[in-house]
Amino acid sequence: MRIITHSCPTCGTIVAANELEDNRVMKCPGLDCQDVLRFDDLPEEAQQHFLEHRGRYQL
Amino acid sequence: MKGVLLSGGTGSRLRPITHTGPKQLVPVANKPVLEYAIEDLKEAGITEIGVVLGNKGRDEIQELLGDGSKYGVDITYIVQGNPLGLAHAAGCARDFVGDDDFVMYLGDNILKSGVTELVKSFEAGDYGAGIALQEVDNPQAFGIADVDDQGNVTELIEKPDHPPTNLALIGMYVFSPAVFNAIDDLEPSWRGELEITDAIQDLFEDGYEIDSHVVTGWWKDTGKPEDILEANRLVLEEKDLTTAGVVEEGAETDGRIELPDSSIIESGAVVRGPISIAENVVLRSGTYVGPYTSIGANSTLENIHIENSVVIGGSQISASGRIVDSLLGKNANVESAEELLPEGRRLVVGENSQLKL
Repeated sequence: MRIITHSCPTCGTIVAANELEDNRVMKCPGLDCQDVLRFDDLPEEAQQHFLEHRGRYQL
Repeated sequence: MKGVLLSGGTGSRLRPITHTGPKQLVPVANKPVLEYAIEDLKEAGITEIGVVLGNKGRDEIQELLGDGSKYGVDITYIVQGNPLGLAHAAGCARDFVGDDDFVMYLGDNILKSGVTELVKSFEAGDYGAGIALQEVDNPQAFGIADVDDQGNVTELIEKPDHPPTNLALIGMYVFSPAVFNAIDDLEPSWRGELEITDAIQDLFEDGYEIDSHVVTGWWKDTGKPEDILEANRLVLEEKDLTTAGVVEEGAETDGRIELPDSSIIESGAVVRGPISIAENVVLRSGTYVGPYTSIGANSTLENIHIENSVVIGGSQISASGRIVDSLLGKNANVESAEELLPEGRRLVVGENSQLKL
């Protein structure tokens, strides 16, 4: 199963795509980091792949 | 070599303690379990560590570990979110790991001998993965490895009815980056998770040799209250315990006692080690603290007899009874009801608490 992640450009915290998709727009979970991360930050192809296989990334 | 430290999970078997925090921060001998893992990785020469966070306790873990500098390591946080399995957690660390080998360490596990020998064994050959094994009495309850004479794994079997060996996987692994391709090819198991044993099996079937290292000395998964007590006992058995605080004349002490400057054993208290007492603890007259007990910071004990227990901290304990084999959460108080009417015990007990009265 392809695992997609995104790194916060400010603090380097790595966030799984399932977390980004859950929130769509979220404050970076890195402590004291004020960056805003978006599911849309992922490459379009990665977003597409995730959405096509969304069920696998759920519990 | 890098380290990937798994710190997710719900901690359901440790409720109610884990209602308010992650299981990896429950203290053993007054030190969060997760810190033992960081120290083991550092001791093995691993200073770049990715800490994988789940849905619970993200801020608390980051507040404790920070950027890792206080441990002499460099920490990157990796947010897994949903607990989709150990292989998913490893896969989330791919960008952090890059082309390096890495140790994957379950953050709620604690073991006597660390991971240095596991890493050395892996580095001595050209392996796709290395797994830590331990002999167990009930192999039917574990993932079991069969190994050849050279210690190479020939088969992994989950909870076998007829186990070929009694060598159980204990949740410490070393991987080459080849594992990421194996994870790419995985499908979720019947329980909806990406299983790390499936990834190892795939590596094996792809022709990679899998190293094994049999861990001697104890190992504990601290997932349940009784495991925390057992780990506390095992650590106290071997830890250097220094008495720096005040032991008043008239107090009776025996054995090894960890007592920092800010804590005091008052006259009339009896303390028998090995025990660990954290900062700003007062043991008042009439208190007995018996072996294999850890008392967390900012606690005051009076009249109580307590042994083989863990008090996480911030507690006022002043009943005149005996507490044994117990785990008390942060700021939990136990007071006397002797002079209260009507007679009887008065409880304010959280969800999933366990009381034996």
